Amino acid sequence: MAIFNKESKLADVVLSNPQLIPVVNRLGVSLGVGDSSIGSICANADIDSDFFLSVVNTFLDKDYFPVNPRGAFSLDKTVEYLEKTSRFYQMVQLPNIERHFNSLLARSGKENNLVLLQKFFIEMKNQLAECLLYETETFFPALKAGKINVDKERLVAGYAEVEEKLHDLLYFFVVHLRGDYDCNLCMAVVSAIFSLEKDFCQNNRIRNRILFPKMDEMMCNGNVGLE
Amino acid sequence: MNRDGCLALVGLRALESLGIRSVVHGFSDLAVESFGSFREFRPVADKADAFVVSADVFVGNIDYFMPRKSKTVIVGGDLGREENAFTSQMIFPDSDEAEINAVLKNLISSLGEEEIVPGELSQREKEVLRLIASGKINKEIADDLCISVNTVITHRKNLSAKLGIKSASGLSLYALMNGLI
Repeated sequence: MAIFNKESKLADVVLSNPQLIPVVNRLGVSLGVGDSSIGSICANADIDSDFFLSVVNTFLDKDYFPVNPRGAFSLDKTVEYLEKTSRFYQMVQLPNIERHFNSLLARSGKENNLVLLQKFFIEMKNQLAECLLYETETFFPALKAGKINVDKERLVAGYAEVEEKLHDLLYFFVVHLRGDYDCNLCMAVVSAIFSLEKDFCQNNRIRNRILFPKMDEMMCNGNVGLE
Repeated sequence: MNRDGCLALVGLRALESLGIRSVVHGFSDLAVESFGSFREFRPVADKADAFVVSADVFVGNIDYFMPRKSKTVIVGGDLGREENAFTSQMIFPDSDEAEINAVLKNLISSLGEEEIVPGELSQREKEVLRLIASGKINKEIADDLCISVNTVITHRKNLSAKLGIKSASGLSLYALMNGLI
């Protein structure tokens, strides 16, 4: 996997990795990026290019680890990015899957196991919503108030379970789906779940490789509050 | 057939069987039993932990042996060493004593490692799966089945590996879909 740098053209990066579109949006860049490099676009939009590249590279490459995850950028930017991610899940991706799922059930016959799969999806969605709620209403506000020792294990465990359930949901669709169903709508549901799973797992890496190391370092230094 | 470690020799010539038995007993007290054909072996196959079979038996019963290939050594066959992907698990007509010893020792040493056959659940794994689906935690499952928590964890890992399902809820859904609960 190529590692992108400030000289990389953002248009090329996005064209070869379209799953980055919501990521660059959350980072403050809208489509219509022109022909400019990442460094130039970040400078014009007053975006920290080191943070931008760390997020993009961590998102794209599961083996990538930011060169200086604790020093190159601030905690507040990471929190802001993850808050936008949570809103995107809650306002766009989860309702999108739910809408497709309801249409799929309405347009498919009764002789299938889609109701069981929908029940499993709702369980996953509720657990994800619970984790996001804890993160946005308790965890991040505590961090912003300088309480670096806020309980991150609850988030780590909760998100790990959601990751497993997203994996299983896709697996059930691919391996265990039975009976009559609308193929087009089924493809829409599976694509939407796949997109959420990819985005979610990659953002978990951002938590684990950028946010938590930064918190640990601040704990060690006795440093509190967002810069 | 001895339950605590059995090596089944299937479809080998008498001299081959005697030779392999002698080599194995040179470094292990594992029970070794010979079967002239796969048909003779099949009724007691579930009790065998490892297999040394002729190439003909292997090829003729590929559906049985492929999922158990890590526990199988093949004797003879027409394929040359350079053409064969299973060289480390084969005894060739021209294999020397050291080579035969190495192949059989490797086979016997692998007996402690549990074979994972995709999609095929053992009776015990089905019991663990039912208890997971009923919402029990590892400690409760261990108490119910009179086994250790570590054994329960091993069963759960094997269930996940065989079924490709990672979460407890996913395992419960699988049990429901497949009439196990």
